[in-house]
Amino acid sequence: MFNHSFYDEFQRRDFLRMSLAGAFGASFSGWFGQLAKAAQAEQAQKACILLWMPGGPSQTDTFDLKPGHKNGGPFKEIDTAAAGVRISEHLPGLAMQMKDMAIIRSLTSTEGDHGRAANIMLTGYKEQEAVKYPVLGSLVAKELGRADNELPNYVSISSSQLGFGSTAGEGFLGPQYAPLSVSGNSNNPQARANLAIEFLAPPRKVDKTQIDNRFKVLGLVQQDFAERFDGDSVAAHRANYEKAERLVKSQAKHAFRLDEEDTAVRDAYGRNRFGQGCLLARRLVERGVPFVEVALSGTQANAAASWDTHADNFNQVKLLSQVLDPAWSTLMRDLRERGLLEHTLVVWMGEFGRTPNINTMGGRDHFPIAWSTVLGGAGIQGGQAYGSSGPDGMKVIDKPVKGPELIATICGALGIDPKKENFTDEGRPIPIVERGTEPVKELLKG
Amino acid sequence: MEVPHVGLLLTIISLGFNGIGSADEPSPTADRQQELAAWLDARFESRWKANQLTPPAIVDDATFLRRVYLDLNGTIPSVSQTFDFLSGNQTDKREKMVDQLLSDPRTPKNLGRVWRRMMVPGNGPEAAAATQLLEPWLVEQFTANTRYNDLARKVLVIAPDAAPMQPIGLNAPAAPTPSASAYINAVGRTPDAVSGASTRFFLGVSLNCAKCHDHPFAKWKQQDFWGMAAFFSNQGTAGRINSEKGESYPAVFLGGEPATIPEGKLATEVLVDWMTSPKNTNFGATAVNRVWQHLYGRGAVSEIDDLDRVPPEERLFFLDELGQRFAAADYDMRWLIASLCKSRTYQRETPGKSNPTQSDQLTQRPLKTLQPEQVFDSLEQALNLPIGKSDDSPRTNGTRTQMVAKLSEAATNHPDQFRSGIPQALMLMHGSMISNATDIETSRTLRAVIEAPFLEPKQKIETLYMAALTRKPREQELNTMLSFIGEQREPLQRKQAYSEIFWALLNSPEFVLSP
Repeated sequence: MFNHSFYDEFQRRDFLRMSLAGAFGASFSGWFGQLAKAAQAEQAQKACILLWMPGGPSQTDTFDLKPGHKNGGPFKEIDTAAAGVRISEHLPGLAMQMKDMAIIRSLTSTEGDHGRAANIMLTGYKEQEAVKYPVLGSLVAKELGRADNELPNYVSISSSQLGFGSTAGEGFLGPQYAPLSVSGNSNNPQARANLAIEFLAPPRKVDKTQIDNRFKVLGLVQQDFAERFDGDSVAAHRANYEKAERLVKSQAKHAFRLDEEDTAVRDAYGRNRFGQGCLLARRLVERGVPFVEVALSGTQANAAASWDTHADNFNQVKLLSQVLDPAWSTLMRDLRERGLLEHTLVVWMGEFGRTPNINTMGGRDHFPIAWSTVLGGAGIQGGQAYGSSGPDGMKVIDKPVKGPELIATICGALGIDPKKENFTDEGRPIPIVERGTEPVKELLKG
Repeated sequence: MEVPHVGLLLTIISLGFNGIGSADEPSPTADRQQELAAWLDARFESRWKANQLTPPAIVDDATFLRRVYLDLNGTIPSVSQTFDFLSGNQTDKREKMVDQLLSDPRTPKNLGRVWRRMMVPGNGPEAAAATQLLEPWLVEQFTANTRYNDLARKVLVIAPDAAPMQPIGLNAPAAPTPSASAYINAVGRTPDAVSGASTRFFLGVSLNCAKCHDHPFAKWKQQDFWGMAAFFSNQGTAGRINSEKGESYPAVFLGGEPATIPEGKLATEVLVDWMTSPKNTNFGATAVNRVWQHLYGRGAVSEIDDLDRVPPEERLFFLDELGQRFAAADYDMRWLIASLCKSRTYQRETPGKSNPTQSDQLTQRPLKTLQPEQVFDSLEQALNLPIGKSDDSPRTNGTRTQMVAKLSEAATNHPDQFRSGIPQALMLMHGSMISNATDIETSRTLRAVIEAPFLEPKQKIETLYMAALTRKPREQELNTMLSFIGEQREPLQRKQAYSEIFWALLNSPEFVLSP
């Protein structure tokens, strides 16, 4: 099925740009030079890709190594494209991208329970019964999403892995800001069906004429009902069906057709669920989706592997790094080449870090006191490692950053005011990030 | 003719439960129902009069039938049930229908489900546990018409040694049996969680904010929260509890009266005695408020779980007195529901656009969003699907469970709100149930309609409307649909057009938003 609306959309935009260019006397050759990029980056809309690491990745074996210290473990440190910033030898692809990335080595919190910690990192608030705080994806979808988007404003890939006991979701913002989940239960490298929207495709027997007829009759029935009754529920029903209709008719703008990509590109991301999920994230952002999250768990050897490495930490982290590094570094490169990186923030984080000291099972346990996250792309002052966890990694000795400050910084990079208030059902105002929390200025481009 | 057979099976089922004890003698029960209905109608009508508003008209038989079927039975009526009801000419057929539905075993099943959703809201593991263990118990209570104060007693009085708290989730023992104790297990098992949840559910007061700090809007202090939690304390000393901050609180009834726990009596018994005493108006008021919300789509006052924040004049409209009448009638739930359904007020139209009664929130009936199970059960009815295990029916082969789970992800306990999302819409558009139902080769209903040689296009469209929406199309709708059929040139396309109409009706707002 050829996707008309997508191309119609761009022609309209490009025509507009051309007229503006003419009005301001810009040369046409310049404009045509832009065309290729414009065709790929539909717009300069900001977007965020969250690479979520359920279980809590070991900072000491990824982005905050302690070479020479007994806590350090066997991994070696390597140089990166950013002078003075060194990371794990098992992240060579990312090392080359470090100029566009900033490591925060001074995350700190007091929560060592997976679920509660994930809730803090994803919502910016400590969970409580009285208020259901929305997660980052819902907050960003609300601020950056467009009502007329053909695709949903928040897509979650492999979200069944996302929680690790987290109970947070769209919260009081309501289901219109809930993610559209893409299951991805299989790690089959060839399959794309496992990264698909359930029930997006009509039954095989139903052809395009029938679909058009169905929506035509539905439109008549809706119109008739709206003439007889009004109220929020009528409007909500109609708006929801219109969104679903746009998705069906555009078939999500082919975003999920990963087989449209070159084999080499798919290979570069890694033929696994996370790698293909990152590729899907790029395709979604390219088509105007403002928030995509991709969870990483499972390796080639062990589909159930996670970052919760209480035992056999080093083998596990090495294998996970081998999934993470090609996917994420290819994502950075791909976004840059398509002119998307300056608009797209990439966030890497889990719910907490892991103990610098190594336990008797060769593992590392939950450690919320001093750990690392990474920000890259849009709005981020790359090429730096911010804060410090000291020589042994046991505590933050410089520039501590708390979960809410990280969310505020993410907002800052995306041009969202973190002080903006949303309202609960009871009319209680809740700022995006709790009052008195500021973004970390040094991490943001001036 | 095929169509009247559509609901034959269900008619037989319901007849089976109909023959017993439904003799026609005027009963004191009927008089008592009549009295409450008349009182309620007078309340509403005088309020409309005082506000110079014209009361909405009484609905036609078809709308009444769909409404009362959904509220009591939890599903829409079949085409044949609808035809039977519409063709009946007894003046009391609506009252008879209420009685008939109340003695249909599907009604307690539906009410048990509705109450479970109210008692344990949300979509987490707690709700799943409540579905498994609390709901069947509630169905038994509605079947037996357990008095509502007894229901509260069974749920809240826990002899610690007799009913040990059962863990839920992964560590649950094999096949625990449905019981009243499923409630305290589902809402959290700690004294403070049980207290917070049950104070909300039975007394309409949300204290949870006062757990950690004095309530920012309401009058509640930490003493109020922990005073109530102390009744559920299992910390050794009956009627005392230590808060999370380590402060010790004695059991105090909500409102400030200290409790005395006599020797040999459980603290929870003392609490329930106080709670269900007719003097405690919040208990009866909250019960009738929940019933009214279920039947009318909104509570009798603006807040259901925060009665303490409701202006007194709102409660005076009819909530408090209805609660007192409920208490005086010995908390008889069946009497309450029957009376309300037989009232004129229940049978009035949902005001359309620009109807002036919309300006008065408390008397206005909103459109009511079907609950997840109601959506499945109504689709099953509209599509005339088999229901037996041997037929590999959607009810038994896992389709129902899947659909209810997906719809529950976006469900709300406010019938006047619609919160569904894209995944839910896509499932209703393309899921196997609708796909099979709109496939002209496999759908029972569609085939019966399309292939019937004696039906004119007009009658075919009418039958599809009856199956999906329990009504005939209005003239304008009929003409629109006829011209849509007329646009199709080939005979196959024309057949297919009926399928598209049926698909659109099943996906229409009217299917899930009940007027």
